[in-house]
Amino acid sequence: MYVLGLSCYYHDSCAVLLKDGVIVAAAQEERFNRDKYSPVFPIQAVNYCFQEAGITIYDVDEVAFYEKMFLKFERSMLSHIAGYPFTLKNFVQTLPLWLKERLAVPYYVEEELRFKKPLWFVKHHLSHASSGYFASPFPRAAFLTVDGVGEYACASWGVAEGNAVTMRKELHYPHSLGLLYSIVTAYLGYRLFAGEGKVMALAELGQDTYASQFRTLVDIREDGSFRLNLDYFAFNRGDKMHNRKFEALFGPAREENAELTDRHRDIACSLQRLTEEVLLKMARHVHAQTGEDFLCLAGGVFLNVTANSRIRNETPFKDICIQPASGDAGGAYGAAAYVSHTILDVPRAPALRSCALGGQHTTRQVEVVLRNKRTKYQTIPRENVAAEVADRLAAGKVVGWFQGRMEFGPRALGNRSILAHPGDAAVKERLNLVIKHREPYRPFAASVLREHVEEWFDGIHESPFMLEVGHLKADKQGRIPAVTHANQTSRIQTVTREDNGVYYDLIAAFHERTGLPMVLNTSFNEDEPIVRTPAEALKCYEDSGMDCLVMENLIVER
Amino acid sequence: MTAPICNRCVLPHAPPDIHLDAEGVCNICRNFEREEAACAAEDRGLLETDFLKILDKHRGKQEYDCLCMLSGGKDSTAALYYVKEKYKLNPLVFTFNQGFVPEEHLESARKTIDKLKVDWIYFQTPFMKDMFRKIVQTKSKVVICGICSLWYMQKTYEIAAQFKVPIIISGWTKGQTTGSSRSVLSKCACDQNPDEFKAMTAATKEFMEKHVKTDPKYRDFPMNMADVMHIAKTKYNSKAVVLSPHWFVPGGPEEYVPVIQEKLGWDYPERSYPKKSTNCDLNFVASKLAVKNFGYSHYHIEMSNMIRLGVVTREEALEHLKMDYGEEILGDILQKLDSRGMV
Repeated sequence: MYVLGLSCYYHDSCAVLLKDGVIVAAAQEERFNRDKYSPVFPIQAVNYCFQEAGITIYDVDEVAFYEKMFLKFERSMLSHIAGYPFTLKNFVQTLPLWLKERLAVPYYVEEELRFKKPLWFVKHHLSHASSGYFASPFPRAAFLTVDGVGEYACASWGVAEGNAVTMRKELHYPHSLGLLYSIVTAYLGYRLFAGEGKVMALAELGQDTYASQFRTLVDIREDGSFRLNLDYFAFNRGDKMHNRKFEALFGPAREENAELTDRHRDIACSLQRLTEEVLLKMARHVHAQTGEDFLCLAGGVFLNVTANSRIRNETPFKDICIQPASGDAGGAYGAAAYVSHTILDVPRAPALRSCALGGQHTTRQVEVVLRNKRTKYQTIPRENVAAEVADRLAAGKVVGWFQGRMEFGPRALGNRSILAHPGDAAVKERLNLVIKHREPYRPFAASVLREHVEEWFDGIHESPFMLEVGHLKADKQGRIPAVTHANQTSRIQTVTREDNGVYYDLIAAFHERTGLPMVLNTSFNEDEPIVRTPAEALKCYEDSGMDCLVMENLIVER
Repeated sequence: MTAPICNRCVLPHAPPDIHLDAEGVCNICRNFEREEAACAAEDRGLLETDFLKILDKHRGKQEYDCLCMLSGGKDSTAALYYVKEKYKLNPLVFTFNQGFVPEEHLESARKTIDKLKVDWIYFQTPFMKDMFRKIVQTKSKVVICGICSLWYMQKTYEIAAQFKVPIIISGWTKGQTTGSSRSVLSKCACDQNPDEFKAMTAATKEFMEKHVKTDPKYRDFPMNMADVMHIAKTKYNSKAVVLSPHWFVPGGPEEYVPVIQEKLGWDYPERSYPKKSTNCDLNFVASKLAVKNFGYSHYHIEMSNMIRLGVVTREEALEHLKMDYGEEILGDILQKLDSRGMV
């Protein structure tokens, strides 16, 4: 049985195809149309999913959409009415979007895909919850979902067992932790969706001196629920979601690319601490209410790796699970999984161990690109790839690494990655300024051999999707400066041979040469979506300062 | 002295239509580069779902959903296989033989028909033999395949009209279409007069005016492809569109040849030009003459497109296009046209 899951029209539009409950293919539209966080109908991603499975729409049994559009429309209209006349401009701007796209999902599915059966619309947070639970290895678990906003819900929790996912409580708009984070992100001069991670990184450079101001904004209860003080916000009233009163409290907003000051760093820090506090309270409350041993987390807020690690380490849950695309792209998977398992009773699939669910290119396809671009390359035996690349990394070279199937979700996890020596302090600056062209303070993640992670870091034992941080042990401090943040933490991806043999062998070979069981890993892109094709990888390599490009078993060097 | 070849594709310097710049890149590659850059943002390319949209408009409305042109070669066999098995249409199949299709190819077509259990029209005629002979003997520059395609497309439209079939499915490769994906979709056809075909088109026109128009035997023969389309519309009242599934899916023969080998027992024929193709024997003569007259053949154009689209490497294309077959083959084919030794 094939079920197609879709998400679109806000951000991270995506298609996921399940066969008998197992993910056959999953990809975000941005990788195809090269528009980061693309909101459009994911037509190219759908085509890819079908081609990967060797099917057409005629073989698809059900199509699931990741939210209930009319419910969302109702919330949006009520919100605009409540804010009238200040919301009028925003209303006029967004209404055409609703009428032409967001409310026309069934039309587009039939028109673009020729799927003529009724669609399943799964509530936004139920999609998130399902994505977290059905990707997990837990036979039963509690779940917690937190994001900007779905229909009405901005957060939810409940329990799941077997094929059933049951929502117990929801926290409704406008009281949204995700929105608060985004509002402050925009206030600090960063773009939405791209900027939240930057704020998280900035937070570790500041002090929690704005805690009391945030208390004015947010009234937090012991169960983790909270209310935003709406006097400080301007929802649906224009480009900015904070108002003058907010600026009176925190100072003037930072313009994009303006100089960063301690005030900005401190605001980011206080926001981050508040976020962690709320999430910890929520998770503890969920544990108290459900008594479950395991917790599944989903929703865009759980891309916050610091908060995730605190939930793992500071709540009574025995284990937590966060699927690799915890944002709205993962909603497409959740909707499809809910329809497969909960509605159609397809037995649960094994836990998701790898997010290599996107397209793959053969060595021949890579070779066609290199030859036709007249690029000199070297072919090396497959069994020597790890050693050859490890030699280069150990020598301080920055390597573009393009292997196997593209990753699903926002992280590059060793298939479309830029790799470097984690012990080379200078490499961080070189990567940030010359290759990735991003803020110099942003830290890089480490891909660590699973069996060595506890030798090097505290507070982490497994993080296959790079969604948690570890604290560098005291005796290791200073040894991996390129992947160590100011607070001595590192964002970690644990790697096993079982999940990604080629990548594992590379890190193991690097370990042999350097004594470091890890490599620096950052996404293979340069201010654009992660590369998908060999041609894109080659262009990114040529345009940047990378020293070497490895695609399958072909090596290109300057 | 042979003309220099574009260092990106396999087209030679052949002014005025094809000329290389200081970097050794031809104007066709440069045009492609410009169009690609201009289209990159909005042109998502042709998608399989676009193809299905067209198919679905016509599905189930007539006895046959489409008419598939089958030569027995890899491209048309794969197209038929996908239409029947993947897109679940009920096709009528048509094979055209002007007398030069080797038995091996026809046997391959028969095997495919049997395996897929589809209805088949086989049409064989010596009608064009005199015209082919005249091309060789008058040393005309016209490309034989161009003339032949006018006739078989006319027959195809005629059959499509007879059976009220709304879609004609070809096995044309990505290299056999030109223009942006939008223009291909909107016209459901290729650009019929791109720069690289201009000299060949002019030669066709000249030959048709001089030898065909004046010959009573070929009174009804179409003068060019526009004529074919016009006749289809006016005489046969056919509005059939011509599409190839290969335009709508990624990759090329690397992907679909293993499928038809496994599912249909298809295999490459012993001899054909270019290598790894399944073209009729006249191609040996047609290509040789085209290279002699223009410096390149229609297969050089197709292969160059395939290089630009990343389907094959330039080296592979050059290898496929090598004319290293024996003079004996050429002699045998020319013998059939009473023209041995004339090429």
